[in-house]
Amino acid sequence: MLKRTLVANRGEIACRILRACKEARIEGVAIYAENDTGTLFTEIADLAIPLNGEGLSETYLNQEQIIGIAIDNGCDSIHPGFGFLSERADFAQAVIDAGLIWIGPSPEAISTMGDKMTARITMKDAGVPVIPGEEVDGGIDDVLKLAPQVGYPLLLKATSGGGGKGMRAVHRQEDLEHEAKAAMREAMNAFGDDRIYIERLLTGSRHIEIQILADKFGRTIHLGERECSVQRRHQKVFEESPSVAVDSELREAMGVAACDAARAVDYVGAGTVEFLVTPTGEFYFLEMNTRIQVEHPVTEMVTGVDLVREQLRIAAGEPMSCGALSMRGHAIEVRLYAEDPTNNFLPAIGPLSRFIPPTGPGVRLDTGVREGDNVTPDYDPMLAKLIVWAPSRTEALQRMCRALDEFVILGCVTNLRFLRDLCEHPDVVDGWTTTDMIEKLWPDGWSDSVSQDILDAGLLVSFACESTNYGKKQMSASSVDEHVSIFELINGRYP
Amino acid sequence: MKFLTSDGIKEIEASRESSIFKFNEKSVDIQQDIWLEMNGKRHKVVATKVGDCWWLHVQGYILRYEVVEEGVSNSHDNSGLTAPMPGKILDVNFSAGDAVKKGDVLLVMEAMKMEHKIIAVTDGIVESVNYNVGDQVTQGAELLVIVQN
Repeated sequence: MLKRTLVANRGEIACRILRACKEARIEGVAIYAENDTGTLFTEIADLAIPLNGEGLSETYLNQEQIIGIAIDNGCDSIHPGFGFLSERADFAQAVIDAGLIWIGPSPEAISTMGDKMTARITMKDAGVPVIPGEEVDGGIDDVLKLAPQVGYPLLLKATSGGGGKGMRAVHRQEDLEHEAKAAMREAMNAFGDDRIYIERLLTGSRHIEIQILADKFGRTIHLGERECSVQRRHQKVFEESPSVAVDSELREAMGVAACDAARAVDYVGAGTVEFLVTPTGEFYFLEMNTRIQVEHPVTEMVTGVDLVREQLRIAAGEPMSCGALSMRGHAIEVRLYAEDPTNNFLPAIGPLSRFIPPTGPGVRLDTGVREGDNVTPDYDPMLAKLIVWAPSRTEALQRMCRALDEFVILGCVTNLRFLRDLCEHPDVVDGWTTTDMIEKLWPDGWSDSVSQDILDAGLLVSFACESTNYGKKQMSASSVDEHVSIFELINGRYP
Repeated sequence: MKFLTSDGIKEIEASRESSIFKFNEKSVDIQQDIWLEMNGKRHKVVATKVGDCWWLHVQGYILRYEVVEEGVSNSHDNSGLTAPMPGKILDVNFSAGDAVKKGDVLLVMEAMKMEHKIIAVTDGIVESVNYNVGDQVTQGAELLVIVQN
């Protein structure tokens, strides 16, 4: 049983983990950089400790400082969340060496899967199918030499990559050098490692992943698939479970392959094995994410398993609690980003002057922000994950549309309306989701189609707001200095 | 009253009676809450002002209307040659005097750990490049100047 866990993360996922700790009667300790002072996750924590320093490397990536805080504050374990140090084998090892419990797989499993080339080779050996491609062992010269052997279109990927960074699609030989250099540069900035490798780009494929859980009692199970095909800039925006492309036979085959992949590295904890599934139903190992994943809630909604709670249980040396599983109904997650969908999804900043999330049956919101917060360029622009569950896929899409319509976010540009449009697009409604669909559907970029009626109504509302100085009056009316009778106020507001 | 919208500058004068504003068969009752009536239906509207801009949530849509002060020209730079975010310059592909074509990648910058291309929206001649590779720029900084030929 864990007693006090340090959460080495911030924002939405820190909130998720700290809440799971609370439910498991484990004390949760948050760490925060100065620019995260007063944010939601530091309030949810039983204890919040400020990090010294500026910038990621001195704060959320500062292994020594984080482990020091854990020890000084009597923690017995560290949960890394996702991103940051979650897939750093050296950090996992340092945590273990400090006598703390690492809530995740072994450092060996992390480093094998984290190095995409080693992972490819390990998976090939374990009999798990991998995408045709080449492991590059040198610099730009090797990339230029090996690329023609793989053929076009191809995909350049960062060896220690993830999250779409350092990843480039190349369609023509003449673009190769430029794109390879950009990919290496991005990889160096994001991961401190500029090695890349080459894979055939399988167009029209689906990105489908299998969630697995493994405990220290030798049990490894899969919890079905998540379909994550809808991506922009190789980052997921819409995820669902189950996938319309997976029948029980394919699910079983992929589930077995995923469990084989996990067993090949003696995996313990929650993990995800990503596959690319071709239109003809062949599947290839993409990579294994050795951590909890952003889109884990859709699996939780359809299986009823609390994955973070299971992580805590497994790390404490207890057997996983779930028995025989079945998938029930349909769950969808959309990722709400502070970004401008009308301008190539460029990250946006601004105040969340109004932030009113949807509620109601089957609606879940995982977020690290609330009204009044400021979106800054310091961190990832993901604001929230909106997840819905419904008995069927059609009803889940209808519920998502309703929830997105209810969602009020004013003051900072987001992709909210883009997501709403996506949920009603015939290709999504029919389940024809592929990794290249956003570029194909909106080759010249997306724009919101708003009726003249709504635009005129907005103009009128703006006129009324500006004429009455809306919002400002309320402040002065409620200010104590004015000595206005409460009855006068009520009469004024509710005639 | 004039507002800058996604659709250009729009002018509106609505009639007012106490808290009720009317225009084009639509009416708005604005008190502590805002209620819009159109096509025989009522819709609650959420509104807030950020800077000079009214942000509205109307029937699920998110709309922005920026107040345009009379006599003041809002210098909205549509050339796209300003830094969209604070960040670092990674690549500068042209120098002063070069001819550029619409669609050319003028400059590459990094913001929020992603690379962004600054692309020419018109043909023209580069008059000046204001930053070098490695420079940090603030949001809105004019990165280069292009004159149309």
